[in-house]
Amino acid sequence: MSLPDRAAQPANAERLLRERLQRAGYLADEDLATTVWLASALQRPLLIEGDAGVGKTALATALAQSYGEHGEQGATLVRLQCFEGLDLSQAAYEWNYGRQLMAIRLSEATPGGAAKVRESDVFSRDYLLERPLLRAISQTGPCVLLIDEIDRADEAFEAFLLEVLADYQITVPEIGTLRATHIPQVILTSNGTRELSDALRRRCLYHYLDYPTLAREIAIVKSALPEADTRLVEEAVQFVQRLRREDLAKIPGIAETLDWVRALFHMQYHSLPEDLSAVLGTLACLLKTREDRFMMGPDRLRQLVEGRRSVGVAEKGPDAAQAVA
Amino acid sequence: MNAAPAPRSASAAPPSERVASFAALLRDHGLTVGVAEQQAMLQASLLFGPLQEKPLQAAWRAIACHSHREWKLWPDVYERFWHPEKLRGGVKVSGQTRPGRNLRQSVQALHEQMDAAPSASRPGTQQGNQPTALHTAGDQALAQQDPNDAGSPRAQGGASRTEALHPRDGQMWMPQELGELQKLARQITAKLQARNTRRWRVAARGERLDLRQTLRRSVGWGGELLQPAWKIKRQEPPRLFILADVSRSMESHAALFLRVARAFALEADARVFVFHTRLAEVTPLMHRDTPVIQEKVNAVTAGFGGGTRIAASLQDFARHHARAQLNRGARVWVFSDGFDTDAPELLAAALQEVRARGARISWFHPTRQVPAAGALQKARGLIERFVPLASLADLAAARAVLN
Repeated sequence: MSLPDRAAQPANAERLLRERLQRAGYLADEDLATTVWLASALQRPLLIEGDAGVGKTALATALAQSYGEHGEQGATLVRLQCFEGLDLSQAAYEWNYGRQLMAIRLSEATPGGAAKVRESDVFSRDYLLERPLLRAISQTGPCVLLIDEIDRADEAFEAFLLEVLADYQITVPEIGTLRATHIPQVILTSNGTRELSDALRRRCLYHYLDYPTLAREIAIVKSALPEADTRLVEEAVQFVQRLRREDLAKIPGIAETLDWVRALFHMQYHSLPEDLSAVLGTLACLLKTREDRFMMGPDRLRQLVEGRRSVGVAEKGPDAAQAVA
Repeated sequence: MNAAPAPRSASAAPPSERVASFAALLRDHGLTVGVAEQQAMLQASLLFGPLQEKPLQAAWRAIACHSHREWKLWPDVYERFWHPEKLRGGVKVSGQTRPGRNLRQSVQALHEQMDAAPSASRPGTQQGNQPTALHTAGDQALAQQDPNDAGSPRAQGGASRTEALHPRDGQMWMPQELGELQKLARQITAKLQARNTRRWRVAARGERLDLRQTLRRSVGWGGELLQPAWKIKRQEPPRLFILADVSRSMESHAALFLRVARAFALEADARVFVFHTRLAEVTPLMHRDTPVIQEKVNAVTAGFGGGTRIAASLQDFARHHARAQLNRGARVWVFSDGFDTDAPELLAAALQEVRARGARISWFHPTRQVPAAGALQKARGLIERFVPLASLADLAAARAVLN
């Protein structure tokens, strides 16, 4: 397998990739940057798993944007959103029957035209409707193919993907095999709602994207909302990090944190209020199910803000906690 | 960190050999690392060089891991192989490694070992089919009951080689029992008769032509109807509701009931409720299986007192919780002994309300006989069937009657 030139200095290339992603609004940690770089160097698809809201899809969009810097040609982002019942005609290609019929009728209308029409005339690339997969391998420039939530698609579709992901080609029976002229960078995401097949997993590099650390999440929020107060950002992110340790049905992701900080910022808060009941309404940005809202009553929220994780009978009031501090 | 300490590969053996033995260790830990992965790992080490340990480790992790479980396992295995000196106080592992066993798995292994023991060593299987000296009085009694069953395991001094798994009333569960329960739930779910709806769905063969789809397909053939599409009635499996009594009187059975309920929540997408004096839905908890959830379920089942209000709970269930879903064909399974602190006639009224929606009610009781509770006797006509449920064997027997 031929490797790209930039493979000569992988450390530099990886650092550059991180910087490019950062400029595109995505703060990747070193391991993730290494994996993304390796995926492009080895020309292998990258399967990213993780909870909803940790930034799997955002990575692909940022990666596509990051190609477009320094006057270079930006990468095309082709997105295939998977769902149950997704089939070949929606994912790869479909014949443009209407156009084919029109071409036949038109040729029939001209004297002696019907005899001239050959099958290969109406079964050519001109009459092929490109769906995301075919569009991705037909690109002549850099391209990022995002196959989003692959776990929602059927197993049969997963099997079809194997040919595309292993050889970057699609076989159309009427035409033949269409090979990619420019290998796209493929990113697959999965929320883990269904177990993917071993065959698919083995064709991909794998990265599990976890919730970011405190420092990284603060950096992410700051870069997305530079105008917000540092104290507000730090306190809010710390609160969300504690909230994630609770047994919630839907754990808030980074997008939820951003929404919440944005809401607090628009409410002109400069730091997190002592009494969270004042901002109880804004918690709709973080807690998305009825059970979670029910569980996070004002008392539990106060405990989270104060940073104490244990709840007991001999719980200290806020005054006592301050006195100890 | 300055230039990271190079993996030991550099000094000891050729890198390819070290990578191969590392791959072998990964395989021992259940990772799928074949030749292709090893090649990719070598390729990555050529790209990064042996001095770049951190990115190299990240690259290898991306290549060798294929699932979240393997992802979490990686740091430990990596450190163990490349940096055994860092594992202070640890034990250096050589040879084949085995995953640790917890108590349950050890007991399970013991049972399997006992099952695999040669049958010749069992009493009563010697030549001539002459039973050997019986070990205990219990054995004698057993032998008298069934003299032909020479090969069956016998009791020995109070302990039995027969697996006492089934009648243990859900106190402790072995993995194989859970598997068995899940299998039973699957079989029973398959037997629940699906109901035809008024809607249709496209099928390869059917009773009626799907004109819209056929015309769409004909476009590709120039308007010729060469590929007919058929449709059949869409069937919907019946909605299953399980109401488990977790009051004080049912404390010892609640664990079994909730296990059974969980199996059906996973297999038949049943909605599960628990009740004592109030009714609460626990379906979301049933779909997750973490220690925290187990604690929650235990908390729900333990420590309730103050009686059981079955009638009020059923009313609450029919009027609020399942109002939109209780329709013709819905199955309501109540797991309870029938002792109600509400007035006896209220239970009949509550069950009547559920029946009025078309739902079919089955009553699972932990006793052998149908409970003699007055409320239940009054409402007998509204209940389709009574099913004893005190063990896994009972559930297996219930397969024949549930439909």
